[in-house]
Amino acid sequence: MKLIRYGLLLVLALAACDAPPAPAPGPRPISCAAGTITAQGSSAQAAAVNAWIRNYQISCPQATIAYDSVGSGAGVAGFIGGTGDFAGTDSPLSPADQPAANARCGTGPAIHLPMVVGPIALAYNVAGVGDLRLRPATVAKIFAGTVTSWNDPAIAADNPRAVLPSTTIRTVHRSDSSGTTDNFLKFLTTAAGDWTYGSGKVWPAPGGGAEKGSNGVSARVAETDGAIGYVESSYAQFHDLHTAAIGNGAGEFVTLTDAAAGRTVAGAKAASAGDLRLTIDYRAPVSGAYPIVLVTYEVVCGRGTAALVKSFLTYTSSEAGQAAITRLGYAPLPSGLRARVAAAIAGITVR
Amino acid sequence: MATAQPALIAGSARGYVDFPPAQPADQRGSGGTPVRLRRRVFWVVVTAVALLAATSLLMSSAQAQVRVIGIQAAPQAATASDLYFALSDLDAQVARLVLIDDADALSGTQIDALSAYRERGLQIDTDLARAVRGATSDADRELVTRLLGDLAVFREWAWQALAVESQLPPQAPGKLPPAALGYYTQATNVLHIDLLPTAKRLRDASRTRLDQAYRDQLRTEVIGIGLAVLLGGALVALLVFLQIWLARRFRRLINPALAAATLITFGLVCSAGAVFLLDGERLRAARADSLTPFLALSQARALSYDAAADTSRYLISANLEYYKQDFTAKSGCLLNGGDCAAGGLPAGSEAAKRWQSYRRDHEKIVGLADAGRGGAAIDALTGIRRGDAAFDFSYFDAAISADADARKQAFDASLRSAERLLTGWVEIPIVAIGLVLLLVPLGVRKRLAEYR
Repeated sequence: MKLIRYGLLLVLALAACDAPPAPAPGPRPISCAAGTITAQGSSAQAAAVNAWIRNYQISCPQATIAYDSVGSGAGVAGFIGGTGDFAGTDSPLSPADQPAANARCGTGPAIHLPMVVGPIALAYNVAGVGDLRLRPATVAKIFAGTVTSWNDPAIAADNPRAVLPSTTIRTVHRSDSSGTTDNFLKFLTTAAGDWTYGSGKVWPAPGGGAEKGSNGVSARVAETDGAIGYVESSYAQFHDLHTAAIGNGAGEFVTLTDAAAGRTVAGAKAASAGDLRLTIDYRAPVSGAYPIVLVTYEVVCGRGTAALVKSFLTYTSSEAGQAAITRLGYAPLPSGLRARVAAAIAGITVR
Repeated sequence: MATAQPALIAGSARGYVDFPPAQPADQRGSGGTPVRLRRRVFWVVVTAVALLAATSLLMSSAQAQVRVIGIQAAPQAATASDLYFALSDLDAQVARLVLIDDADALSGTQIDALSAYRERGLQIDTDLARAVRGATSDADRELVTRLLGDLAVFREWAWQALAVESQLPPQAPGKLPPAALGYYTQATNVLHIDLLPTAKRLRDASRTRLDQAYRDQLRTEVIGIGLAVLLGGALVALLVFLQIWLARRFRRLINPALAAATLITFGLVCSAGAVFLLDGERLRAARADSLTPFLALSQARALSYDAAADTSRYLISANLEYYKQDFTAKSGCLLNGGDCAAGGLPAGSEAAKRWQSYRRDHEKIVGLADAGRGGAAIDALTGIRRGDAAFDFSYFDAAISADADARKQAFDASLRSAERLLTGWVEIPIVAIGLVLLLVPLGVRKRLAEYR
């Protein structure tokens, strides 16, 4: 009987050695802060901010964060007026707004933290064309209405191997004020050279179809033969629309990917180490860079801000935070810039 | 036959004590000692080979069954549950998209819903592809084919609802153009009347296969233990009997080779029996503690998504009482088991507590809608503040998902452990019985030599 017992004990011991290993440690949890904060601003980053708020609040039961998607202008006004703990904006503060924001912060300047990269796609619906390439100058001519059919020599020159139809080009732009329009126009103004309508949040050129919101533009492109419109890449992706490869400063045609959009953002110059207001060079000769990007910011006080704001932004700028928004069609911040944003947030003092 | 020669002298030097010479056996029984010895050795060898064949084959069979459970039956059950969940959520996302239309303030929710709709679509396609690959009968393949057809119809109605809505002038919050409502009703009917019942049949079929795989495993375990004990016991008995017989016949105290063979056999039988037993215990525990709760949680999660979509459907349908009642019934199933087939949430669990928060949100939204405050109802539905439905549902989902993921990981770990436990057990009996088959002739060789 002893032998049986020892045999069984031996097998049981071996089995115990074979027990499942302890689970590997998961990603570093969010370093939580408690309290309630409110923010307002850009609708272009609303989906990203909502996802972050949801994740943060799930991990941090003592925190409550509200973000109202009221547009960049109202968001900045709310921040300056003291009703928002931070503002989400598609464009850096204007020279007029910066002093007011600094005054609101009191003990230090309001700083810019680039947080959300939203590539802008040129979505199209052209019979028989599945691989369209367009140089910035051609894009400008199309949206200015000087190129009116898809087999125009300017488009044919960009697509020497494509058989292009004679279909009339039907451009679609936003009817509402939007950061997407503003950034697309900045690209045209800077990179196309002969774009004469300038930039701004409201579409300035005559002609074309106007639709409210990127979803409206996407739907219009999807239902119109010969249509082309600019939309946040997520909408083109979710509506399964073809998107054009765009010519960059290196002379390449680059299709839209997160990495390609990230290369353009990585090349942007920041105002200073503490204030990361970016200047994007749409003509930078960066190989593999997709040039039409929208970068949105969080504007926050550099000193004396709420601990919850700092903790929340620390999460949004983390690898996990950036990874969480890729499913929504945003591109993660390039690693170098992300590290600079994280360092800037680490330098924020809390009250 | 050779006459037995005395073998007196050198025994003690060889580690055992030699007794006085045995009487020539051929003088006392039929066949004589060498024949009887050979006959006993023959039966030992036959029994050893039978034990070897039984343990190796059954261990091999047990390994195959662990793989069947781990690679086929359990994943198929999980896939079928996942498919049911993804279909439920697909309709929930369409309901969200129809409800929010192109409202500026809800652009974040719109992207989230579009993203989730796309993800669920891909998830369903992946699950259906897996279901086709794993289908073991024409009936299963027919179910998958039917799902593919119905899914195409669902997608067609859903996108028509969204397209019609986007083409018509914006309505008041929560109000749908009649055509969009009509198309959405068609879509959600296809889901509830055709898709989900078919997905449930596929899920039930996969559970049946899982039950069968476990029954097969239990049968192998019982047969394995039975044969190991029977044949192993017989071999040990034969070896002991041979040992005693040799001791008496040749006046030897102990035959070391036979003793070693006996110990090896005994060890093999105990180990093999214990391995069969432990493996079965692990598999059963993995199922009871991990897989069954995981599948129940998957089922509850699917039900919760469908119930939450009823909140949107109530607003879309201009307060159709049916969706209020449907939510109440599904919520009852989640919290109390209810009278529905789907399993509920574990009583007192964090997920159950959080579902109660969502139920309060739902009641608040229904109240706002009944009071004619459609805009406020949509805000309460899509908001992500604590106490808003979208956040509270995510909070609930995080709890149930974490629980389900933990169960799934525990099951996978247990299965890997069960598989590791069986590793080498096709070869171990070969080595052990091989040794026995070497030791037995070695043990009797000199005794037989005495008769040459």
